[in-house]
Amino acid sequence: MEMLRNFPCFSLILSMGAAIVSSGLSGKLARRLNTVLLMIITLLSAGTLYLTFTTDTFYVYKMGRFSAPWGNEIRFGNLEAFMALFFCIVMLLSIWGGKKHLKKEISDFKENLYYVLLNLLLSSLLALIYTNDLFTAYVFVEINTIAACGLIMIRENGHTLEAATRYMLMSLIGSGLLLFGLCILYDITGHLLMSNIKEQVSILTETGEYQLPLTVAILFIGVGLAVKSALFPFHAWLPDAYGYSTVSSAAILSSLVSKGYIFLLIKVFYRVIGFEVIRQSEFINVLFIFGLTGMIFGSLSAIQENDIRRMIAFSSVAQIGYIYMGFGLGTEIGMVASVYHILSHAATKSMLFIAAVGLTDVSGQSKKFIDLTGAGYRNVAAGLTFTVGSLSMVGVPLFSGFISKILFAQACVGHAYKMLPTLICLAISTILNAIYFMKTVVRIYTPVKSEYASLPWKKDIGYGVVCILFIVMNVLLGMNSEPIVELIRSGIQMFG
Amino acid sequence: MRETIIALLPILLPVFMGTILLFLKRLKERKVILFYTGTGLLLTGVLAWNVILNAKDQQVTLFWLTEQIPVMLKPDVLGKVFLMVVTVVWICTGFFSFSYMKHEKNERRYYGFFLITFGILMGLGQSGNLVTMYAFFEFMTLAAFPLVIHNQSREAVMAGLKYLIYSFFGAYMALFGLFFLCRYADTITFTPGGTLNAELIADHGQMLLIIAGLMILGFSVKAGMFPLHAWLPAAHPVAPAPASAALSGIIVKGGVFAILRVIFYLFGADFLRGTWVQTVFLVLSLLTVFMGSMLAFGEDILKKRLAYSTVSQLSYILFGIALLEPTAVCGSLLHLMGHALIKSTLFLCAGAVICRSGFTRVSELRGIGKRMPVTIWCFTIASLGLIGIPPTSGFISKWYLATGALDSGIAVFQYAGPVILIISALLTAGYLLPVTLKGFFPGELQQEAGHDTWKKCEGDRLMLIPLVILTALSVLLGMFPNSMLNYIDGMLSGIM
Amino acid sequence: MSEVMLFIIVLIPVLWSILIPMLPFKKRGHMMIFIEAIVLINSILVWLLLWNRPEGTFTLLRFTGHLSVTFRLDGMACVFAGLVSVLWPLATLYSFEYMKHEDHEKVFFMFYTMTYGVTLGIAMSGNILTMYFFYELLTLVTTPLVLHTLTREAILASRTYLYYSLGGAAFAFIGMIFVVVYGNSIDFIYGGVLHAGSYPGGDQVLLLIYVLAFMGFGVKAAICPFNSWLPKAGVAPTPVTALLHAVAVVKSGAFAIIRLTYYSFGVDFLRGTWAQYVVMGITMFTIIYGCSMAVKERHLKRRLAYSTISNLSYILFGVTIMTPLGLVGALAHLTAHAIMKICSFFCAGAVIYKTGRNYIYELDGFGRRMPKIFGIFTISAFALMGVPGLAGFISKYYLASAAVESGNALAYFGVGAILISAILTAIYMQTIVVRAFFPQAGFDYHTIDDVRDPNWMMVLPLTLFCIGMLAYGVYSKPLIDLFTKIAYGAF
Repeated sequence: MEMLRNFPCFSLILSMGAAIVSSGLSGKLARRLNTVLLMIITLLSAGTLYLTFTTDTFYVYKMGRFSAPWGNEIRFGNLEAFMALFFCIVMLLSIWGGKKHLKKEISDFKENLYYVLLNLLLSSLLALIYTNDLFTAYVFVEINTIAACGLIMIRENGHTLEAATRYMLMSLIGSGLLLFGLCILYDITGHLLMSNIKEQVSILTETGEYQLPLTVAILFIGVGLAVKSALFPFHAWLPDAYGYSTVSSAAILSSLVSKGYIFLLIKVFYRVIGFEVIRQSEFINVLFIFGLTGMIFGSLSAIQENDIRRMIAFSSVAQIGYIYMGFGLGTEIGMVASVYHILSHAATKSMLFIAAVGLTDVSGQSKKFIDLTGAGYRNVAAGLTFTVGSLSMVGVPLFSGFISKILFAQACVGHAYKMLPTLICLAISTILNAIYFMKTVVRIYTPVKSEYASLPWKKDIGYGVVCILFIVMNVLLGMNSEPIVELIRSGIQMFG
Repeated sequence: MRETIIALLPILLPVFMGTILLFLKRLKERKVILFYTGTGLLLTGVLAWNVILNAKDQQVTLFWLTEQIPVMLKPDVLGKVFLMVVTVVWICTGFFSFSYMKHEKNERRYYGFFLITFGILMGLGQSGNLVTMYAFFEFMTLAAFPLVIHNQSREAVMAGLKYLIYSFFGAYMALFGLFFLCRYADTITFTPGGTLNAELIADHGQMLLIIAGLMILGFSVKAGMFPLHAWLPAAHPVAPAPASAALSGIIVKGGVFAILRVIFYLFGADFLRGTWVQTVFLVLSLLTVFMGSMLAFGEDILKKRLAYSTVSQLSYILFGIALLEPTAVCGSLLHLMGHALIKSTLFLCAGAVICRSGFTRVSELRGIGKRMPVTIWCFTIASLGLIGIPPTSGFISKWYLATGALDSGIAVFQYAGPVILIISALLTAGYLLPVTLKGFFPGELQQEAGHDTWKKCEGDRLMLIPLVILTALSVLLGMFPNSMLNYIDGMLSGIM
Repeated sequence: MSEVMLFIIVLIPVLWSILIPMLPFKKRGHMMIFIEAIVLINSILVWLLLWNRPEGTFTLLRFTGHLSVTFRLDGMACVFAGLVSVLWPLATLYSFEYMKHEDHEKVFFMFYTMTYGVTLGIAMSGNILTMYFFYELLTLVTTPLVLHTLTREAILASRTYLYYSLGGAAFAFIGMIFVVVYGNSIDFIYGGVLHAGSYPGGDQVLLLIYVLAFMGFGVKAAICPFNSWLPKAGVAPTPVTALLHAVAVVKSGAFAIIRLTYYSFGVDFLRGTWAQYVVMGITMFTIIYGCSMAVKERHLKRRLAYSTISNLSYILFGVTIMTPLGLVGALAHLTAHAIMKICSFFCAGAVIYKTGRNYIYELDGFGRRMPKIFGIFTISAFALMGVPGLAGFISKYYLASAAVESGNALAYFGVGAILISAILTAIYMQTIVVRAFFPQAGFDYHTIDDVRDPNWMMVLPLTLFCIGMLAYGVYSKPLIDLFTKIAYGAF
């Protein structure tokens, strides 16, 4: 059992080590290393989860046994371990699903570079999840940004370069704001370790000192992370980045990278500022309103979109709106709903990207709707997966989306004045989701004498398996939600 | 059991025979059809007289439609009067049509529905409660429909639909009352003097008045009362003459009969006396009397003129009922019988003229009396009856109506009524007598007319005998009304 | 019988039907036997269950907290399950003949049979979550049926259908959440689980939520602003239009509203509030609106679809009276209308199948050439109009007398609406009948020489429906007794 405590640290070091090693390997070896690494980290995370779950406590792990303020700390409970596990699985599936495209779209001599970036990304995600130190978090945010830029750009064409630049600019603004926020916090509390800051903040709240700087800090951190995770008005970088990069990148970026920032934001809420302080600030109302508008406008943009990948990307904007709306409710159950939606959306969005690429493959690589007509018959696995993903997005029972919807709704009905707007927006957003996703589903099942119908599409067993795994994961989340929700609840309590 | 059989036989036999006739597609031989129909009519007539003479005034419950509403027959005096009229007129018109329909297509269908309608009328007369009556009323509308549109010209079908829609509209208005009566009356079985439950209606008097008004208005559609009379002048002229005779003589009386039932056997005269419903009813009926006569006066097409006359004459009956006064009601009943005989005679005469000479307009009828003496004599006698010249039936009934009006003591109407009746009688003379006058005294025109002007074209015996019988009966009713008056006397004292 | 059976009858059609496209049938006949066997066996199982009613509940799986998928066979469930299980085998028989010349037959029958299971699922739902669950599934399994012909029209129709249904469910979802969070229980309990004061934010909000949920479920029941999907969905093959869009799907909407009103929110709470007046007003408006549109429409199936819209609101009107008697009326019309409308739709289907004619003005003189079909159509028309002695009269009688009994002033106008609608029904049904039997003079029957009555597979179900209508109209006591027991919560 003692051994298990070291696992988070191991997985961090392993992923960073693998990144360094990969830079010297050939593409093929790098890929294998990455796969093995992901599997190992999955196992390690599972072990960690086992530890926290059975003992039902959280652990603080001091790097090199130096205590603060000199040392660096890792802190993990149920939720962190589970997130790490889940992220690894989704990443693994996304890479497998887009394997064929990776080979095609990335020049051979850069293939190992791709895996270097992936490993770096993974390490940064793990760090964001586990770290108990705000500055460490900032460092890994930057690493994350750079890795993500690379992942977008590595498919070299005009679109991706432009998208990467845009992403870079927006991200840097976000990072800058985050950094300002951290500085102010450090200034008024004198600490960088989360637990220590929280003690100081609670003292400040009691005495009523430094309220303005504190609010500004919250605002900077929150807005910074919101920009990075593409909350509604700051989403301009997103459709291009997700729409044109190679599919594995898109899947990983949409389902994991933005979620990493959101998870960091949750940690800031609970572990740095204290949830009570956040709840009483006006800040959550801002998040709430942005979340609601995001839900609606993301979907509206998606309806107008004529390109399946960009449509899915815009749908992400809407879904991130859901998550922030959950924060904005300012209740614990709202937070649980948001965290569940992080999981559900991560699982579903990567699934949709992978399915979409299967469909475009059999339609002459065209992402236009008109060319996708009947694609569901040409690639059965992709069609089915896309349908399941769409249904989950619309919130049909059996699938994960339904559970998050029900959790959000349950969370909001307790709230006096936020209830009706939330419920109405949920309903409208469901209708909008139905409009664009179901339109696509009907489209891919409309038979047509397509010129692509005769194209030889080799039965790709690997791809089929990935599709099935995605479906299984989604249905598991949808039908077996009770333990997961319990886990999230206990994980959030461990934060406090 | 005996009562059930007596009551049911005249209903079931013609319906059954008619249905069989409709399905006997092979039967092409005209004589056989005529013989079959004739037998059917006579047998039913015998059975109907059996009811009139032998049936006791007691309820025969057939089955329960729902828990509260049984389908029930109850041949009381009013019903028997109706039965008498129906039987006489129906058999006469039936035999008349044997000759008239010779040149028409689809004779089998005509006789089939003629028989079915006969049976349904028997049922209408014997209905023991509102629902049963309503049911037979609806059936009557439906079964008579094929008779109206018999020649299937566009005009006929349109007129038929008009008839159908107006009738249903009226029936549904009446149905509206049924639901309320179920709630506010002790029973919906017809009981002389009404069945309203005094306790239940205590606070709902005004509402029930509205209901009563609607029911009267609804049933008055069939009786052609303004403002829902428009179907009548449309439907009568397009139907074959015997069918118009039956319509005008009997079917429209169904509406009057139903109103009698509603007013005297459900709501009770006392409930309505002196209320606004009575006033409205009086105004409408008087208006119709006058309006019908005026329209008839201005009409050139013979059958249409007769149809407007029907509109006017039926409102005499309704006026009598609306007075809610024994003498007037007695007059109404006499006029009901008299008008049935007279108007069917007139229509049959018109039919004979149309059939034999081809003339349809009054202005064409110069000299027709010379060519069809018997027919025009019958027409003349019937006309006199309708105008109300002693000793015909019209005189007696109008006498009673006028006396009743004077007796009633209702402010304006006790004088206005008789005045309008007299004016209308003058108009009646004005629109009926020209036929006779021109028929027998063609004046100068005869010389100019063609060579066949004087050719006899009298109908055959099948046409003339029913005409003569009907005419004779109408005269007899006028000369010896006492037996009839005695017959209905007991009933009148019961319902007032 | 065991409670597990409740789930099994839902499962059988769903699982077996998946086999239909997979099994290599040598002849069409074999497939027909296979499908009819599934449906019939399942129906028999349903009937056995109805006779030996299990009292308990069966919980299939649990979502978060106290949310679970649960089956239970109470009185309401009996009515709906019984209705569906009687109609399905007959409709399947009919569709064998109808689908003879259509493509993708196997896929069609797969979804058609699957829908049976899902509809039973709605009937047997023990709590509001389960009902919502099957309600959504119903949308999904019926969409391919609307899509079936794959014409441009069908695609547009199926899209509209999906948007409306899923959108409606989104609003129904709101109501469900309130029941889940603030109800005493999420199970269906006669009398409701919410009451005045259940929601700390005030009763007005709760009433608003009821109205929203009513509209949400009302989308499937085609209430007025949300009805345009139904006539459009008429592009589907007739068995679908008849069974699903006149019975299973739309009645599921009505059924859900009954559950929502009587078993979740509770009528004692709703009666006399503005919410009641609003929903009642909507139903009354829809009654008139549907009929008027039907009169205007010249396409046979679409006219019947509009008629369905109007008739569904009869049911909902009964529900919104919010008295036990109103529920009796609603249930009576739910069953009666199912038989009448499936019958008239099947007649329309027979015409389309035999002659390919879709418009009413093309039906001149068909009565003589297709006497059986049009004879039955005429009877169903009379029944819809509410001629006494047929099913329609009974249900209208109960609806109207419940409205009168309730003493609610608006309900009186509802009686008026029903009667106006009856006259409009007479117009739109009788014009068809008249045209078919009495073509204009000089009509040349040789132009329709090819028109013939269809074979027994079509005529048999129609005849049975016809007998059903008559029997219902003449002797409805046992059914009404049953409804009364349910409506007073005694069953």
